[in-house]
Amino acid sequence: MNSLTELHLDALSEVFNVGAGRAAASLSDIVGEEVRLSVPSVEIRKSSEIDVSAMGLQSERFGTVHQTFSGSFEAEAILLFTEEHALEIVRDMMGSQISLEDLAEFEQEAMCELGNIILNACLSAMADMLNIPLNCSLPDYTVATTEEIFRRVSDDLDQPYVLLLHIDLAIERRHSEGHLIFLLSSTSLKGLIIQLERFLGAV
Amino acid sequence: MKKILIVDDSKVSRMVIRAHVKAVHPDWEFFEAGSGEEGIKSVIENKPDYCTMDINMPGMLGTDAAEQILQTSPHIRIAIFSANVQDTMQNRATSIGTIFVAKPVTEKSITIVLNYFASE
Repeated sequence: MNSLTELHLDALSEVFNVGAGRAAASLSDIVGEEVRLSVPSVEIRKSSEIDVSAMGLQSERFGTVHQTFSGSFEAEAILLFTEEHALEIVRDMMGSQISLEDLAEFEQEAMCELGNIILNACLSAMADMLNIPLNCSLPDYTVATTEEIFRRVSDDLDQPYVLLLHIDLAIERRHSEGHLIFLLSSTSLKGLIIQLERFLGAV
Repeated sequence: MKKILIVDDSKVSRMVIRAHVKAVHPDWEFFEAGSGEEGIKSVIENKPDYCTMDINMPGMLGTDAAEQILQTSPHIRIAIFSANVQDTMQNRATSIGTIFVAKPVTEKSITIVLNYFASE
């Protein structure tokens, strides 16, 4: 029941591809430049198996935006940005005349907004393509070390499955890696598989 | 009988495009490619009349593949079908002589593509 077929993963990749495309269009409008996207990769892991190598994380500290999704299935979404690049993106959003020091004041709010745009783009793509209603909570933003993130993921016994999405977002010369983690309970993973089967069955 | 080539790295996407087009044109012959490079090869081998092209794929960008295809086979009508809906991508698609249609693939977006193919 916890096995997604290659076709399921392909369908999920496509859903997130559409989501990332929408997010990039919004980001591009905000920063006034083209945002380049990598082809997203998706995998399902047991949360107990998650570590630095599984995630391929290069940085030790991340800006993390957290939101809860609910609807046909429930998931906790955590979006990770390398902290330094996060501030640069915020500066692009606010206008480059603001110094990095002054930005700290806006960081919380701007990162929540950034996370909100990206997570909602993915959410709306999933809701539209799978034809299911999905809601999400308001975002909250924290800066965390990789260790803190993994502890949080692996300690969550109610949600033993992790859907990992890796995508690179590059804004002009700045290269920022975004990682999106979805934590799913067994019931929610079943729910997601049912929705994917329904979507594939309709093709 | 017309021939259509579907270029997309997602098998699901290719299935969805094929199913929608087939519903309207059951007699068309279908070819598929999983990358821009394979797409270019398939155009030479199969000489399709129409082509749908994704942008973000491993290897070359779909827009670059479409540009190369149109240089050697200017008669092919190409629709760029992409989730990357930024203005720069839409402008690039138009500038190389293709149309841009936003993913996800739906009956509505396929209708736009088929109307473009038919408007010769």
